[in-house]
Amino acid sequence: MKQFRYLWVIGLVVTALIIAVPVLLFASSGNEASPDPWAYVAPTPSHTNHAALMAGPYASGQEVTAACLECHETAAQEMMQTTHWTWESEPVLLPGRDEPVTIGKKNQINNFCIGIQGNWTGCTKCHAGYGWSDASYDFSEQTNVDCLVCHADPGLYGKGESGNPAEGADLVAAAGSVRRPTRQNCGSCHFNGGGGNAVKHGDMDESLYYPDETLDVHMGRYDFECVDCHAGDDHQILGHSISVSSEVKASAVACTDCHTEPIHADARITAHTDAIACQTCHIPEGALRHATKVDWDWSTAGQDLPEDPHVYLKIKGNFVYEHDYRPIYGWWNGAADRYIVGDLIDPTQVTNINTPLGDISDATAKIYPFKIHTARQPYDVLNQYLLVPMTAGEGGFWDTFDWDSAFRLNEVNTGLAFSGEYGFAPTQMYWSMDHMVQPKENALQCYDCHGENGRMDWEALGYNGDPMEWGGRQ
Amino acid sequence: MRNRRLPLLIVLALIGVALIWGGVARAQDSAQTAPQPTPAAAPIHPVFPLLDDAGDNVLDSGRAISTMTTCGGCHDTAFIAANFYHADAGLSTFGEGGATAGGHAWDIGQGIFGRWNPIVYRLLSAEGDDVLDLTTPEWVQVWGARHVGGGPATTSRAGEPLVALEPGASVETTIIDPQTGAAQPWDWTQSGVVEINCFLCHWPNANNEARLAALADGRFADAATATLEGSGIVVAADGAAAAGNWDYQAEAFDEAGNLRREYVRVGDPTVANCGACHGVTHNDLGTPLAFDTLTAGDWTTLTTGQVMSPQRIAASGLNLADKATLSRSWDVHMERVLDCTDCHYSLNNPVYYRETGDDAPAHLDFDPRRIDLGEYVYRPLHQFAKGQSAQGALAQDYDETMRRCESCHSVARTHDWLPYKDRHMSAVACEACHTPRLYAPALQSVDWTVLDADGEPVRSYRGIEGEALGATTLITGYEPVLLPRTDSDGATRLMPYNLISSWYWVYGDPAKPAPLRLLRAAYFDGEAYAPAILAAFDADGDGQLTTAELNITTDAQTAAVAGRLAALGLADPRIAGEVQPYGINHGTATDEWATKECRDCHGSDSRLAATITLSDRTPGGVVPALPVVGAGQVGAGLRPAPTSAPTWPGEVIADGSALRYAPDTAAAGLYVLGHNAVDLIDWLGILMVLGVLVGIFVHAGLRFRAARRASRGGSETRPYIQVEDEDGRGGSQTRPYTRAEDEASRGGSQTRPYTRPYPADAPVATHQVYMYDVYERLWHWLQTAAILLLLFTGLIIHKPDKFGVFSFSYVVQVHNILALLLVLNAGLSLLYHLASGEIRQYIPRPRGFFDDAFKQALYYVRGIFSREPHPFAKTRDRKLNPLQQITYVMVLNVLLPAQIITGALMWGAQRWPDVTAALGGLTWLGPLHTLVAWSFAAFIILHVYLTTTGPTPTAGIRAMIGGYEDVEVHETQPAATTAD
Repeated sequence: MKQFRYLWVIGLVVTALIIAVPVLLFASSGNEASPDPWAYVAPTPSHTNHAALMAGPYASGQEVTAACLECHETAAQEMMQTTHWTWESEPVLLPGRDEPVTIGKKNQINNFCIGIQGNWTGCTKCHAGYGWSDASYDFSEQTNVDCLVCHADPGLYGKGESGNPAEGADLVAAAGSVRRPTRQNCGSCHFNGGGGNAVKHGDMDESLYYPDETLDVHMGRYDFECVDCHAGDDHQILGHSISVSSEVKASAVACTDCHTEPIHADARITAHTDAIACQTCHIPEGALRHATKVDWDWSTAGQDLPEDPHVYLKIKGNFVYEHDYRPIYGWWNGAADRYIVGDLIDPTQVTNINTPLGDISDATAKIYPFKIHTARQPYDVLNQYLLVPMTAGEGGFWDTFDWDSAFRLNEVNTGLAFSGEYGFAPTQMYWSMDHMVQPKENALQCYDCHGENGRMDWEALGYNGDPMEWGGRQ
Repeated sequence: MRNRRLPLLIVLALIGVALIWGGVARAQDSAQTAPQPTPAAAPIHPVFPLLDDAGDNVLDSGRAISTMTTCGGCHDTAFIAANFYHADAGLSTFGEGGATAGGHAWDIGQGIFGRWNPIVYRLLSAEGDDVLDLTTPEWVQVWGARHVGGGPATTSRAGEPLVALEPGASVETTIIDPQTGAAQPWDWTQSGVVEINCFLCHWPNANNEARLAALADGRFADAATATLEGSGIVVAADGAAAAGNWDYQAEAFDEAGNLRREYVRVGDPTVANCGACHGVTHNDLGTPLAFDTLTAGDWTTLTTGQVMSPQRIAASGLNLADKATLSRSWDVHMERVLDCTDCHYSLNNPVYYRETGDDAPAHLDFDPRRIDLGEYVYRPLHQFAKGQSAQGALAQDYDETMRRCESCHSVARTHDWLPYKDRHMSAVACEACHTPRLYAPALQSVDWTVLDADGEPVRSYRGIEGEALGATTLITGYEPVLLPRTDSDGATRLMPYNLISSWYWVYGDPAKPAPLRLLRAAYFDGEAYAPAILAAFDADGDGQLTTAELNITTDAQTAAVAGRLAALGLADPRIAGEVQPYGINHGTATDEWATKECRDCHGSDSRLAATITLSDRTPGGVVPALPVVGAGQVGAGLRPAPTSAPTWPGEVIADGSALRYAPDTAAAGLYVLGHNAVDLIDWLGILMVLGVLVGIFVHAGLRFRAARRASRGGSETRPYIQVEDEDGRGGSQTRPYTRAEDEASRGGSQTRPYTRPYPADAPVATHQVYMYDVYERLWHWLQTAAILLLLFTGLIIHKPDKFGVFSFSYVVQVHNILALLLVLNAGLSLLYHLASGEIRQYIPRPRGFFDDAFKQALYYVRGIFSREPHPFAKTRDRKLNPLQQITYVMVLNVLLPAQIITGALMWGAQRWPDVTAALGGLTWLGPLHTLVAWSFAAFIILHVYLTTTGPTPTAGIRAMIGGYEDVEVHETQPAATTAD
């Protein structure tokens, strides 16, 4: 007998193949798997409960750090390389200057609380270290690194003056709670910059602790933590802020790190990305839940006027807050010019603290959305530079309401001689808007910019007219 | 060369325009302000003086502005007036009423001047009417909301200036006093006429309310001036609305008497300008769109729910259900920064490139000779590119002058996801999928047979919860009904429509609608309902009539109103009803929001056949008439039916007192796969399959019984013979063989594969033959698999609702690929059979065929039960018995080709629509394909059963797998006589 018992198996396979191959080759199911956002994010390391490991007792924050360093031996050294610790950049050569300068909270000013010099005890509450209370702070002492502010449950830990643990903090409980930083850890400083919730950024505030998807698609719809995007090795957190970084930074977080081609189904929209940053369309408004400060007038400070934290405070002056902040749009190539302490100003003109660099002829520049914070802040009338008052420091303006002494007391800290005559000069500061990202359902549409009363001032941006009709830049 | 010259021409044209304007400007004012910063937005219109109808500067005369003289200073206003269907409104074709689809016997015009519409209700009276309704002066007042002026507002029906007519001499110089019903003379020289109101369309923020107020007051000459109220140029003197009483604001004018540049805002019509008469528009993204009433001035929104706005619906201020999810814009074209005039442009606007006509010589692709900008600005044709409207009979010469979707959008380069792209495009208009839903309320029905306490009809809206339309109404939106429309290219496609039903009283012969004035007199005595009306309608006796009570449901109610109308002199008053279709071409959505899911249409609940509610009431029991089109229409023969009229495949279904309209896709000439199953065919198919199954069960049961009886009765058994196929070539050497021997030879314990369940003790003498070679087996099983899968996928396509887990389009693709495989396999197999001569096996020989076939049939009905041997030996060279031969002749020559051809044509509806249409179209091919598929199913069942009739039940199948078949030994019997 030449019959092969399993002939039918072969026959079945051959028949199935002849049918299946063309079907699989030529019929398309049309189902496209929707991308998993987590595929682009580094896997979250497994959590180790430190409650048993960190038994204490700890008399100070430094003792906690010392305990941490027993296992995480290099952690403090890593931290000390970061701007979270140094509050100062590497030296950078700004346009029109001969010497490189370092830029950071440590030595430069903004147009909110102005500068930390002389005001360390108040400002360094947000320094990732313990005990920075004057210029003599030892930046090389490893136990001064504050592990807890980023890693402990903020419900169990807080910082007080000079960045030391708040009075009465249970350091054992805090140390036992350490974990990967949550939005609450980052937000305790970053959502409260400028002296309170939502003051500074316009795109970051405490509403992001419990975001819904209409507030921010990444954090709301997908429950991203800050460190999912602002990741990094060796405590070098990725990110870039125009307020303290004047250079184009490779370590910036970009939308395109995850959102790769093809970005949009419509080629015309994708073509926009040559000149338009993602944020421009996908962050139509900031300050969606909490109003953000858009103007600060120091000149009215010190008066006995009715107080309202959103309108007037005796220690700070008048404020203007805005809800649903509509961004200002401008070219930016990632670098910025910077007002350096001691630079001369023209008090009749608005002084830019940080000016985004780039224009329509700069191929690396794109149109970005900015929050612009304007202020009238003190300057030396004779010396023609912006002054840094002592405010929070002992005997500062917030104690005495005396500008003269506030400037004089700080001469030694800032090196800025005070002539005795001060005034208030207009300044403005750019804040890039990168959070409160909206999905396409809420992104800007053609009409928002190209329609009647559109958002863009085409001529100010350097176009002949609406590029939809006049063509884009070459 | 051409490319280099074109810019030069444009520059020259621009220079020409500049010179014209420059000359005008120099003559008027040399003190010009600095140029505006944005060239695109800069007002390019030069300064000009405002003139009255005598041509004097209004600063001197203080009289109303005349657009004809003011704008006529530079533009040829006479040309504009003579070529402007918005102004003409049907005056130029006056008297040709009733000739158009959807029109009425009592129409006396084709535009809004003379064409009656049940939504507005008022009827323009013809000269000589016994009962007057709307005289020309009152028409201007009523229809002013939708008329720009000029045409019938300046010129009589006979073509004379209205101001030249003798007051009181005709319906054109008379007005009915609404209180007394008495005709009063109307003096046009007092009221003035309504000139074409250039400002209404060309002035941003034109004051339409003030214009309408002036018209309502009968201050016709003031309408244009009123339109500028609020612009800072002019205010009504002393705030009083008296004719010609205007204060022109000095700061708006320069020393030369011209408007200052900053006051000159003349420009292209904006969306809001068009929206003043056409519907709800909103292009201010900063404020949420909101409205709580819809009036005739919101016509397109009122009749269809279309809203023209770039705003996301979710960002609007309307109380919409599931609003947060509606991230689409009201209209994608608006959102993409188009405005009305980008599509509805002036037809001689040189900016809009027009293709060189067909009459151009063959060597010319482009004819650059066209009017330049200067000529255009002097004589801008105000005939605008338009589509075609189900209701509009106006300016039909300009129907479809507009670009359609496909003029701008490439269908070829999009819709790649859509199988049968061309087929879909030829059957379904773009709008059908891209306007899947309207998110604003639209009129559903108007019942003029009753009047509410305000003297208004009972209106109902679709797309809302509840009946009343107001600020707090929950708006749910509605899906339009899809009806076939024949376009000017001759193609009939499904288009979205809203259907508005209306009922009203008509009287006399020929019939006319009862004038509103008399209808109100019938219902009311003074301010209150007449007692007879209250008695008829006030069911709860509270003295008030609610909307629910205001519904004519009984003969007594009909008689009560009819009696009152008859008493007012209207003969034979009776209720008429009709349904009007309103086409939907705006409110377009992007692909994301378009109807895209195959099963939305290809299923039993097809979108294409979704019913739409016509009304929740049927006043007087009158089922409203669908507009008659074609030869049977009212006034047929006067002119051909406009192509825009939808035909009406479907029916009105009464559902209690509510009425629904159910479209019928089959009646529309469409066979929608998955939706249009012909029940008869399916029942026929099911019966066929069931019949076969029943036959098989009976036959198998009889065989079983016979076998059992044989085994019990110990009937004579024949020796059991095992074939030893020694040459492996189907040789027939045999020798006696016992089962024991056989098992031993097989290796003992191994079961004989052909050990039969029955009859256990009735072994049949068999021998083994190499029956089917490898290729035969392969093509057989390939065909088996293909046919089974085709039947399965076909069933899914046929009834997609029953197989929800499968993707419809994927299954269609698989079906097509399988079909191609089947055809290829059949073709190869045919080739094989031809080449090898095996084809002969399939060809019955005529000689003796019937005898043989009868013999074989007799075997199946008799011999098989008594275990007689098969009448014909099955050999390698003669596998088929006569019945098989004839069956396969039928299957292979009739069924298979029929299925291949119908299937290919259905597939080809995409590629060769003409061929498919010529062969009956899908409505015929679809059911035929289904019927043949059922036949195949029945055949396969029978085929499988008959394979069990061999010496053993599985011998046939095993042979088709292994190639070797146990066949009966026919020691004495020769092969069939039909053998060679």
